[in-house]
Amino acid sequence: MVLESIPPFAIVLIAAVLVPVLPRRLGHAIGVLATGSVAAISLVIDEGTHLSGFELFGTFDVVIYNVDQFSRLMGLIFGFIAAVAVLYSYASDADSIQTAFALSYVGVSLGTVYAGDWLTLIFFWELMAVTSTLLVWHYGGDAVRSGFRYAMLHGIGGSLFLAAIVWHYANVGAVAFTGNGITGTVPATLAAIGIGVNVGFVGLHAWLPDTYPSPHLAASVFLCVYTTKTGVYGMYRAFPDGHIWIAYMGGAMAVFGAFAALLQSDMRRLLSYHIQSQVGYMIAGVGLAGGAIGHGGHDKYYDVLAAAGTFGHVFNHILYKGLLFMTVGVIIYRTGQESLDNIGGLGRKMPITAITFTIAALSIAGFPGFNGFVSKGMIIGAAHKKHLDILWYLLLLGGVGTFLSFIKLGYFAFIEGSYDGVVKDANIGQSVSMVSVAGLCVLFGLRPTLLFELLPFQGQYEYTTYTASHITEGLVLAGAGAIGFAVLRGPLHHIGRVPDIDSLYNRGFFYGGRVLIVAVTELYAFVDRVAVGLVRNSYWVGANPTLAVARTARYLPQSVRPSWDDEQPQADGGAPPRLYLRAGIGTSVLLLATVLTIVLLVVL
Amino acid sequence: MTEEALPALLIAVPILGATLPLALGLVRQRIGWWVATLVLAVEAAMASWIAYAVYIGGDRITHILGGETFGRKEVTVGSFDTEGFIVGIELVADALSGLLVALIAFVSLGVLAYARRAGPRQNTFYSAYLLLTGGLMGLVLTGDLFNMFVFLEIVGLMTYALVASDRSAASAVAALKYLVIGTTGASMYLVGVGYLFVRTGTLNMVDTSRVLAGEPEWLEVTGALYTEPLVVASFGFIAVGLATKTAIFPLHTWQPGAYSEAPDSVTVLISALVSTTSAYALARITWVVFTPEFFAVNVKATEAILVLAALSVVIGSVLAAMQQRVKRVFAYSSVAQFGLIAMAIGISVHPAATDTATRFAVYGVVIHLIGHAVIKGGLFATVGAIKKSTGARSIDEYAGLATERPVLSGTLAVLGFSLIGVPPMIGFVGKWYIGLAAVKAELWPLVFVIFASTLLTLLYVARLLEKLYFTPLSETTDTAQEPAVATDGRGSVSFGMVALAVTAAVLAVGLGFMGAELTDAIDPLVDAIQESSPEVHQ
Repeated sequence: MVLESIPPFAIVLIAAVLVPVLPRRLGHAIGVLATGSVAAISLVIDEGTHLSGFELFGTFDVVIYNVDQFSRLMGLIFGFIAAVAVLYSYASDADSIQTAFALSYVGVSLGTVYAGDWLTLIFFWELMAVTSTLLVWHYGGDAVRSGFRYAMLHGIGGSLFLAAIVWHYANVGAVAFTGNGITGTVPATLAAIGIGVNVGFVGLHAWLPDTYPSPHLAASVFLCVYTTKTGVYGMYRAFPDGHIWIAYMGGAMAVFGAFAALLQSDMRRLLSYHIQSQVGYMIAGVGLAGGAIGHGGHDKYYDVLAAAGTFGHVFNHILYKGLLFMTVGVIIYRTGQESLDNIGGLGRKMPITAITFTIAALSIAGFPGFNGFVSKGMIIGAAHKKHLDILWYLLLLGGVGTFLSFIKLGYFAFIEGSYDGVVKDANIGQSVSMVSVAGLCVLFGLRPTLLFELLPFQGQYEYTTYTASHITEGLVLAGAGAIGFAVLRGPLHHIGRVPDIDSLYNRGFFYGGRVLIVAVTELYAFVDRVAVGLVRNSYWVGANPTLAVARTARYLPQSVRPSWDDEQPQADGGAPPRLYLRAGIGTSVLLLATVLTIVLLVVL
Repeated sequence: MTEEALPALLIAVPILGATLPLALGLVRQRIGWWVATLVLAVEAAMASWIAYAVYIGGDRITHILGGETFGRKEVTVGSFDTEGFIVGIELVADALSGLLVALIAFVSLGVLAYARRAGPRQNTFYSAYLLLTGGLMGLVLTGDLFNMFVFLEIVGLMTYALVASDRSAASAVAALKYLVIGTTGASMYLVGVGYLFVRTGTLNMVDTSRVLAGEPEWLEVTGALYTEPLVVASFGFIAVGLATKTAIFPLHTWQPGAYSEAPDSVTVLISALVSTTSAYALARITWVVFTPEFFAVNVKATEAILVLAALSVVIGSVLAAMQQRVKRVFAYSSVAQFGLIAMAIGISVHPAATDTATRFAVYGVVIHLIGHAVIKGGLFATVGAIKKSTGARSIDEYAGLATERPVLSGTLAVLGFSLIGVPPMIGFVGKWYIGLAAVKAELWPLVFVIFASTLLTLLYVARLLEKLYFTPLSETTDTAQEPAVATDGRGSVSFGMVALAVTAAVLAVGLGFMGAELTDAIDPLVDAIQESSPEVHQ
């Protein structure tokens, strides 16, 4: 079958090449078609399909295309959201070049998730950093600077991950996925930190709120999907048996992201922190995915539940987060305002946007009846059943924070206050994009079994979405969020920009870099001075051997000092007199005899 | 006629040919160059033949002059035929001497192209030239210790004559100095050979080696003679004698004068071949006569060689960097380069050397011998051509000449870089193997010396190239103001002179890519040394 021999990334990359040269409308249509077909292929293609037999550098057997239950799911949702986002780009006046960059970013992300070995994975992984940086840079202005910081951090993260893979190769002797992830203490640590950059570990996350609000509003829709979610996928590949520290890091991300988001006024910045928070749930799920983590053991299904919940959350998150960025994008598109402080009361003027936003917000907050409730519940349930209570509370607390900040976003954008001027609602293309995604959010929320059929480990775990306790849990979180908002409403408005960890390390980087550059320059100058001095002195000695000998002789004691000055007239028209270091015939023969004597003495 | 006659013919043809310029000179002036060219063309053909037989055919060609083998048979590597011995003179072309034979034949033929215009043009010059070639061939081919002395003297006498052949006072003094010191050195060698003869009763290298090892049954010896004072002293005399001929510091005193005062054609020839063959003799006697087993019990002897060699490398380079006359710069540079070769000889037999270290050291000796001959010959040819065309002799006078003489300056630059040891040129390959050998043998002070020598070489070559390329011509008013310099040297440079220099530069680069072929050719020699076998078989 032809389908099986065409890797999905190739289709999208071909489209990416075509888009800038074709007319804008046709180009975007091809983009939608290409990414949509990838989604379709991912839905129908058989597991186990692979494209291998390539030898890289003559030593590595690489599998550039490999289909299994995880990559299939990733390919499906990546392809679908890309199709929607291309349509949205078209409707939001994104130019063809930007869409081409976006499609190349989508293409290499697909390459990453369909990779059959570590080498192919890291290859596409690094390309992902490159293409996404280009996508950010394309917008110009401030985006260039944040794109540069983004590139630096991802360069470091990618290098760490690469180091982990090299080390892993040295240990295992093969680059192919073994199913055990990356083993060994050092490579595992390197991999965790390297991937941690991509998923936004607390402390390594600052690029997220720094970069994602800066480019074109349609570019943000692409960005919010691929890098972090590929990171989650990579994390699961590297740690299929989970790790308790990773689980707790996920919990910390969930809480930190949600409450940092609460403090933001910039809408896209707020959403970016929520990426970290939501990815925190997924990372918690990855961390819980091992039978050895927490209580429950191998005979229970909780680890499988956590893994399935992780991928379910990846799937759902891409839908509602894409939708959130689209709705916020529409607000920015129509008003030109980025900050909540400058807008308000838009609900009546933009009903479609308001409704789809509400659906997305309820989904991300995990309100019963929406898709976020399903997958987040699976992860929280796994943490609960494994009796990791601290983690469980962290994840619940993250849920409260999410409710809080989305009530804030919705309230200040659509309900409170007023916005002067004419504001139209989303245009046709944007509306189609948003409504279709919003529909899926509701559909998967109301019919969780549809989602379960797509997820890995189908039938290997038991989970009932709508039980009384789950629904109560969701409602309690929502209630806590609402009460919290009612109390904090005043202070939460007009907070201003809150510094994050990046203000610390940006400064550290700047001053550290300055110190380094100055030090290197000075060191170079020093070495240069020494070298030049040495050469100059050598030259001088070569040119004036007599003077050199005479000057050196001055340091000798008077008794042994040779009387050069008397024999050699100095005033020879300024030219240095020649130094007669030549041994005469007699001296030479004496030397010969001396050497012979010494040699014979030594040898005998 | 078979190949067995070739070793004898290689020696006899130039020596007999040397009579022709004088004889024919009676009927016609200036016929010497034609005779020499003809004779050396024949010589080159024979050298190619013998090199082909040795390296492609895999033969060890021997020829015994005026003697009897007394039942000694050809033996294979590793097993000794303890029966017979040789009375008479044995000539041997094997994996070691074959390369040198080819080098001598082609260099001496090539230098003729240079001498055509550069002179001297007397018929007597060409007689001496042919005699020198014959002597060098004999020195390389002989398998007999005393016969080696004879050829050493032939080479020495002809070199003295050639150095003085332009009849200037300075060259006469230089030749006289060379004569006294060179003859003293040769006498030391003869004393050493005498001691060996007294103890072993034979002069044949193979037989001497076997007696020293205590192998033959026909000699009433009980075991190896390596520790006997007479044998050890003989090595000391031979080493010092040959070191004098090779111009290792502090026995080099004759060499800078001889090189710089000799006519340019002669400098090219002797810098490429004379010290080279002496170093070859030292290597051959060290490896094949005394063998590594001698040095295993006489570690001091190895260390003496290494100390002298290291001193030679450092001081030779420093002295080279201090010179003003370009010819003297390269003369002292040879002191340093032969120090490197002597060092590699020492490393190859050092007890600390592993099999790999020995292998690399032997590669280093042979490749650097050949590489240095090509580079130094080419450098002196270039320097001679520059002097002939511009009158420039000192480094200061070289200022800005690059624009006037682009081809010769380019040649000088290429050869200079090769001398420094810039990859991929031949100078790099030789130095690389020597350095590698020192590393493998873990003789760190020597590693440092080799590294330092590269820097020092860089110093004096860079000084020259800086003058050539980066100092403007106008600064050097000296050249213009001294017509005396200009009148005695300025003249046209022939195509042959430039061609020789350029050929050397091309070879210096091209041979660098033939490292693998060279090492393959040397491999049998390495095997023989590692088994302390007196005979080198393919």
